[in-house]
Amino acid sequence: MKHFLSRLPGLVMVLLGISLITFTLSYLAPGDRATAIAHARYPEEIAFPPELLQAIRDEFHLDAPFASQYLNWLGNVLRGDFGLSYSSQTPVWEIFTANLGETVTLAVSSLGLGLLVAFCLASLAVRNPGSWLDRGAVLLSSIGAAMPSYWLGLLLILGVAVHLGWAPSYGTGSLAHLVLPALTLAFWVMASQTRLLRSFMLEAGSQAFVETLRLRGIPEREIFVRHVLRHAMVPALTMIGLDLASLLEGAIIVELTFARSGLGSLLAGSVLSRDLPVVMFLVMFFATAYVVINSLVDAVQAASDPARNR
Amino acid sequence: MTLADIQSQSSQKPSPLLRFSRRVLMGTGFGALALCFGFWATPYGPAEADFLNRLSPPTATHWFGTDHLGRDIGTRLLFGAFWSLGLSFVISLAGLLVGTLIGLVAGATGRLPDMVLMRITDSFFAFPELIAAVTFAGLFGPSTINLVIALSLVSWMKFTRLSRSLAKSIAEQDFVIQARLNGLPAGLILLRHILPNVIPSLLVLWTSSWSRTILAVSGLSFLGFGVQPPTAEWGAMLLDGKPYMQTAPHLMIFPGLAVLISVLVINLTGDRIRDLLAKTK
Repeated sequence: MKHFLSRLPGLVMVLLGISLITFTLSYLAPGDRATAIAHARYPEEIAFPPELLQAIRDEFHLDAPFASQYLNWLGNVLRGDFGLSYSSQTPVWEIFTANLGETVTLAVSSLGLGLLVAFCLASLAVRNPGSWLDRGAVLLSSIGAAMPSYWLGLLLILGVAVHLGWAPSYGTGSLAHLVLPALTLAFWVMASQTRLLRSFMLEAGSQAFVETLRLRGIPEREIFVRHVLRHAMVPALTMIGLDLASLLEGAIIVELTFARSGLGSLLAGSVLSRDLPVVMFLVMFFATAYVVINSLVDAVQAASDPARNR
Repeated sequence: MTLADIQSQSSQKPSPLLRFSRRVLMGTGFGALALCFGFWATPYGPAEADFLNRLSPPTATHWFGTDHLGRDIGTRLLFGAFWSLGLSFVISLAGLLVGTLIGLVAGATGRLPDMVLMRITDSFFAFPELIAAVTFAGLFGPSTINLVIALSLVSWMKFTRLSRSLAKSIAEQDFVIQARLNGLPAGLILLRHILPNVIPSLLVLWTSSWSRTILAVSGLSFLGFGVQPPTAEWGAMLLDGKPYMQTAPHLMIFPGLAVLISVLVINLTGDRIRDLLAKTK
């Protein structure tokens, strides 16, 4: 806890930095924002009278200097007011929560599946380092790490959906629509985690205290479950925390490849339609989630590491 | 053992790391030569359409088949190597140089610049690469140059973190303190004593950064946020071939395979260098 509190000022500074970068990006984006808002409000109109554009500029303070616009926006964000989407005129928060579920479902199901397979593979591999099973696991994880997920997605669509007809290829909806995207993402999770878990387990298993336990006649199974695993969990937890950003990125690519709805499709759609409030919120959300989760992982790790608690 | 003994010993047998580095250099040179030979030997151009030979599967004249406009896929893959591997090479190299510079400055100067630079680095680090790239390339207009800018903006932080932490630990070692006591200027210490000790680990990180960037460049191009279709980038070729997936799967299989193999080769090379480095330490 003390460790976490000492990190807090730095965390606040990083969050402020994130907001500044996000706002600068949207501020520098080309195109007249007043016209974009007008287009979204009156989709059937083609040209807009200058008075209307000026009214919009006044309403959103678009003529104000950078610093005052930034502080204004930051104040709103801190109060929990993320604005209205330009195109649908509904609060950004509602659009976000409507799409969050799909992405979380995809990420959690593939993380669960991938970790499960990775755990089994790594446990089997470290039994006999250098055996064909071990080599196979390493090879599989190398291929998985190099595999472009969008390409794997296309291959799965071609093989499983088109030729075998076992699962639907594109879209969202039923549980069956989740199968191929989750498999695609789980393959990547499996690849990155197998190799990490394997090396952490090997390292933990080669330590002196494990040899002592063995000499004391503790059964191999118990050593593995009670000591090696627990020892390997601390670094593995950190890596899983760091890989969370990659998991979100992977989810976004997979969503777009399979035309699934979710945060990735929402981001791509609103970026292309210049729905800036939605874009800014999503970018802020991803960056903040990454920072907060990593701080939490860091705190958990500090609490569970006996050497640091002394 | 005298100094001469040690020298003669080391000159007899090059270390495995050195041998492997030589092999990597030779392999890279051979690959580049093969690529140049391919450019010279292919009878087709990357944009040369042949409407009589549309969607032809692999044959003796078109080894990898032709696409929906009758362009030779093998030739396009060769030119795609230039785009996919080249662009990501430049992006990751820019990240390596800028990131290392910032990291060394942060690690080797006072507490205040270190704190400020690292908070900036952390802020940039929070943006997942692809999300930043999709946002930037989408807002500023999807194009090759915007893709390069977007990915470069988020490519340097890993190098900053690594070089900073390495510089910090090296700066505490005896030979650096000795150099400082001898009155060597800080810039020279950084360049002569700290940088050479940081480079090997940075190179290993750079190989993984390069392969990640290959995946990012081709992935973003495939999603329409990067290199745009008539250009023969591998991801853009996949995007081009996607509508013909069922009737002519070779349009999407070969570009994806090219990405997979390049990334795999670069990753395995980096892993091997890392293992050899760990052994020599």
